[in-house]
Amino acid sequence: MSGFRHGAGRLGDKEIAFSFDGRNLAAREGDTVASALVANGIEVVGRSFKYHRARGVTSCGPEETGALVTIGHGATAEPNARATMQLVTPGMEVSSQNCWPSPKLDLLSLNNVIGSILPGSPFAAGFYYKTFMWPAKFWYSFYEPTIRRAAGMGKVPTDADPDVYDRVNSFTDVAIVGGGSAGLSAALSAAQSGLRVVLMDEHAEFGGQLLNEAVNQGNLELEQWRLDTIAALEAADNVTLLRKTICWGRFDGNTLAAHEIVDGKVRHNYHKIQAKKVIIAAGAIERPLVFANNDKPGVMLASGARKMLNHYGVAAGKTMVVFTNNDSAYQTAFDYHDQGVTVSAVVDSRQKPSAQLLAACMERGIPVQTQSVVTKAKGWHGVRSVAVADLAANGQSVGQTRSIACDVLAHSGGWTPQVQMAAHGGTPPIYDNQIAAFVVDQQAEDTWSVAGAEGEFGLHAGIDQAVAAAQAACQALGASGGDISKPTQDIAGELNIQPLWRVPAKGKQLIDIQHDVTSADIVQSHLEGFVSVEHMKRYTTLGMANDQGRTSNVNALAIMAQCQGQSIAETGTTRFRSPIAPVSMGGIGGRELGEHFKPLRRTPMQEWHERRGAVFVETGLFRRAQYYPLAGETIDDAYVRETAHVRSKVAMCDVSTLGKIEIVGPDAAEFLNRVYINMFSTLPVNKARYGVMLREDGIVFDDGTTSRLAEDRYFMTTTTAKAGPALAHMERCLEIDWPELKVRVSSISERWAAMAVAGPQARATLQKAFPAMDFSNEGFPFMGVVHGEHNGATLRVLRLSFSGEMAYEVYTEADHGEAVWQHIMDAGADFDIIPYGLEALGALRIEKGHVTGAELDGRVTLGDVNMEGMASKKKWFVGKNLMQREGLQDAERPRLVGLKAVNPNEAIQTGSILVTEANAGAGADKQGWVSSMTYSPELNNYIALGFLRDGPNRHGEKIYAAYPLKGINVEVEVVSSHFVDPSNDRVKG
Amino acid sequence: MLRINCPHCGEREHSEFTYGEDANRSLPATDASLETWNEYVYQRDNVAGEHMEYWHHALGCRTWLKVQRNTLTHEISWVGLPHDMPPSQTEAQS
Repeated sequence: MSGFRHGAGRLGDKEIAFSFDGRNLAAREGDTVASALVANGIEVVGRSFKYHRARGVTSCGPEETGALVTIGHGATAEPNARATMQLVTPGMEVSSQNCWPSPKLDLLSLNNVIGSILPGSPFAAGFYYKTFMWPAKFWYSFYEPTIRRAAGMGKVPTDADPDVYDRVNSFTDVAIVGGGSAGLSAALSAAQSGLRVVLMDEHAEFGGQLLNEAVNQGNLELEQWRLDTIAALEAADNVTLLRKTICWGRFDGNTLAAHEIVDGKVRHNYHKIQAKKVIIAAGAIERPLVFANNDKPGVMLASGARKMLNHYGVAAGKTMVVFTNNDSAYQTAFDYHDQGVTVSAVVDSRQKPSAQLLAACMERGIPVQTQSVVTKAKGWHGVRSVAVADLAANGQSVGQTRSIACDVLAHSGGWTPQVQMAAHGGTPPIYDNQIAAFVVDQQAEDTWSVAGAEGEFGLHAGIDQAVAAAQAACQALGASGGDISKPTQDIAGELNIQPLWRVPAKGKQLIDIQHDVTSADIVQSHLEGFVSVEHMKRYTTLGMANDQGRTSNVNALAIMAQCQGQSIAETGTTRFRSPIAPVSMGGIGGRELGEHFKPLRRTPMQEWHERRGAVFVETGLFRRAQYYPLAGETIDDAYVRETAHVRSKVAMCDVSTLGKIEIVGPDAAEFLNRVYINMFSTLPVNKARYGVMLREDGIVFDDGTTSRLAEDRYFMTTTTAKAGPALAHMERCLEIDWPELKVRVSSISERWAAMAVAGPQARATLQKAFPAMDFSNEGFPFMGVVHGEHNGATLRVLRLSFSGEMAYEVYTEADHGEAVWQHIMDAGADFDIIPYGLEALGALRIEKGHVTGAELDGRVTLGDVNMEGMASKKKWFVGKNLMQREGLQDAERPRLVGLKAVNPNEAIQTGSILVTEANAGAGADKQGWVSSMTYSPELNNYIALGFLRDGPNRHGEKIYAAYPLKGINVEVEVVSSHFVDPSNDRVKG
Repeated sequence: MLRINCPHCGEREHSEFTYGEDANRSLPATDASLETWNEYVYQRDNVAGEHMEYWHHALGCRTWLKVQRNTLTHEISWVGLPHDMPPSQTEAQS
C-alpha cells in the first residue's frame, strides 16, 4: 500500500506536525494516526504479536487489527493504541511496536519462518500448554524471558503516570450507545420529549457509517442531514453528547460503563451512567475474508478503505483490487474509481452478483471476476499483487491462479452486528442466515437494539427502528418522543451475502490478526478435541486481543463448525464479556490514588500524635500511633521503653478506634443476655463487664467490655476491627430474629474519644486531673464506672485494664478529646506520664495473656481460648447450640498457651508451627501455632501466645516454634498465657 | 449495578447494601436439637429463580431488608421490611 493524500474528505486543510519513529510528518487536523500514516505513504506500521509479520493499517475503526502503536514516551506513554481511534495532536510522538531494529527490517520475524516450517511448534495453537514443560526451572530462567522478549505488544511504562484521570457519575433517562444515523435519529426523537438524553460514540465525529460516504457526489443532502441533526442535538439543553467515548459494558439495572478520551486537563474519564432506558445503536463491523497473507500491509477492510478516502481524503493506494462475498464492497470500488484511483478488478466469490452491480461496474470499466477468490496477497513488505483463482462450484477447491497487480486489496467478508452491549444483558446471540452473523433479539422493556447492531443495514429502515425505539422508551417514561425527518436518499441494506469462511487454498490465513491465530490453529484445536467454542477460544487465544474478536469471532466459529460438520448456530458463540474495548486503568482508578486510595479515619487526638512525632501504622481505615520514638530510637527500642514505662509509672494510649455502641430500651438487658455468652442482666448500674460474643456456628466472634449506664441503657465497646460487623450482627438479630424486643442499637464510635491511662500512677494522675471525682479504690473499684465533667466536657471513666496494670479508660465527646487528653498529660507530668502506641499496647496485652484478633481469628472456640467457664449455663445465647458439636469439644484441639523463648534473646516468629522435635521437616507432627509475639521487658525475654494441642496440661514442657520457610527454629517453654500478675492484684490495687 | 428500592431511602445502588443471607429460614427454638440447628446454620437451597433474601442497607438507613431477587436475571421484584410479605404471598394467605 502506498497511500497518499487525495482530495479533502471532511477535514480542513490545517496542517499539524507529528512524528513516527522519530520521522517528522505532516497530518491534517482531524486525522487519526492511521489516516495520517497512510497519507504519508507509510505501509508497515509495526510487527505482529508472535510471528513478527509486517502489519499496516487495516481499517478506520475500533476493529483495527494491524496498526497498534505506542503514543508518547516515558511515563505517559500509551502502548497498543489503535492508530485508527487516536486523533493526531500537534507534536504527538508515535512509535511502532514489537520490532527491532525497525518495522521494515525486523530480525525477530524469524519466528514467522520457524512457524511455517514446523507447524505445531513454537507459537502454534496451545504451544504454551505443550511446549517447554521440562525442566521446570528452565521456564523461569530461559523460556519465559526469551518468549516474552519475542512476543508481546508494546511496552508498559514503568514510571508512575503523572496524568489526571477522572470519574463521572451520571443519571439519564435515555442513553443511546452509538452515534451513527440510527443513534443520531433516536437521540433527536428522544430529545423532543424533554427527558434527559445521553448520546455517546467512540469516534471523534458523529455519523458512523455515514462518514464512509463521499461528500461530493450527490450526497450533499445526506451530509447536510447529518450536520443538521448534530446541530439540533447540540442546541438541546437536555442532551449530553459524548464523543470519543466507548461504552464498554452494560450491567444490571442498565448501568453503563464508558471510557472517554478527553486529552485535556484530564486525560480520560470513566463514566458510570445510570440509564432508565438504553438504545443500542452500535452498528456493525466488517469482517475480513480468510486467505493467505490476509494480514499483509495493503490488505484493508473495504469500508475502511472507503472511509479513508471519503472522510480523511486519503487514498489507500494507487491501484486497487476489491475482493468480496457480498454487495457492500462494490461501493468502495465505485468511490475509488470515481475519484480517479485505478480499480483493476472486483473479485467476487459469488456466482451471480446482481445485474445492477455488474452494470455499474461495466459502466465504469471495472472488470468483475465472479466465482473467483483471492488465494494469496503477494509482496515483500506490502501488497504488490494478488493471486486470483476460480472457485469450484462446491466451494471446496480452487483452480489455476492468475496474478493481478495492485497495492491495496479492499475486502469484505460480510458484516457482524455489534451485539456486545445487548448480549451483556444475558440474552444469548442467535445466528441469522440472512446476514451470516449473530444477532441479539433485544427488545426488552428497558433496552432496545436497533439498526446495524440488530442486523438491519438499510439507512431508512435503521432510522425507522431507532425512532420507534426512542418513542417506546419515552412513552415508557411517561413522555413522548418526536418524529424526525429522514434524509431523502436511502442506502440499501441487503448484503446478498454468500458466506465464504475460508478460501480453500494453502498459506498462512490469519483469523485473529492481532493474536496471530490462523485457520490452521482452529483446525488444530479441533483435531486435539476441543469441542466447545469457549475451549477453542482459550486454547488458541482467539479473540483475546484488544479488538476482542470483533473481526475474528464469526470466521473462527464458522471454521470450527465446518470441522465439526454442523451448523454455525449449533456451534454457537462465546459469551460476550466486558470490557469490549481497551479501558485505561487510570480511568478506572480515577482520583483514588495514593493518599486518596481509601478514606482516612482520624481519631480526635490525631493531630496531637502528629505533633508529638508519632510513627503511624494502618489499621483498617485508621492510621494509629504505633510508637513515639525518642531521638535515635528504633521501633523495638521505643515499644520496649513505652511498655516498661506503663509497668513502672504511667502512660496514656489513644483507644478511640474501639467500636462504641449504645444499647437502649426496656429489653436491653435481655438482648445482651442473648448476644453475649455471659450474663448482663445482673450487671449493676455503673459497673462494667467483659463479654464475649459467638457466631451462630459456635465460633468466637468478638469480645469487649460493656457497662451499664442505667437500667435500660448499656454502653458497649467492640474491637476496632469488628466495630462494623458487630453492629450489623446486633441489628440483624433485632430486626429479623427478635422483633419483639424493645431495643435500639446505635453506633456512637465517632462521637466519643477514648484514652487508656495505665500504670501504677494512673490513679494519682487522674485524681490530680479531675479532683472533683473520687478515684479511690473504695469509691471507684475495679470494673466500676464513674461520671464527671471537665470544662464542659462529659467524662465517662471506666476502670478496666487491658495492660494488666491499674488502668482507666476515659471517654469524652470527640470535640473535647484533644483538650481532655492534653489536660491528663499536663496533670501526669508530675508522675512522668508519656504517650504509648499500638506496639506497646500489643506487648502489654501479650504479657497479660489477653487475646485479640490474632487469637480470635474466626476459627477458635471458647475452649480454645480457655474461656468455656465464662459461658452461662442459666440462659441461652447465640452460638450455644452449635458450640456443643463434637468436633468443637474435642480434647485434642489446640488451646491457648504462653510460650517463652528458652534463649531469652531469641525472637519467636508469628505464624510458626509448634513441634516437639528440633529442625522438624515437612512430615513433623504439627501440634499448634504461634499467634502473636513480643519482647517482654517485664520478663526480659521473648514471649509469645499460641495454640497447642492439650496445651494447658503441658506447662513446663520444652518444644520448638519452627518457621521452615525462613529456617527459624526456636526452642520455647510452654507456660501459662498470663505471664504478668496472674493473680490480677495490680488491676485491683 | 443492582438498584434496590429501600422502603426508607428510595431506589439506591447496591453498593450501599450488604448481602446478608437467605430469608427463607427462621430461628429454631433455643432448645431445638443439634441437627435442627445444624440445618439452620449450614443448609441452604441453591435456588435458580425467585429467591427471598436479606440485604442490609449498611451505608444508608441501616435497616435489614427483605429482597425478592431472581438469581438467574438479577431482577428484583419486591423489597420490604423483614416481617413484610410480598403481595403475592399475602394474597395466597388471605
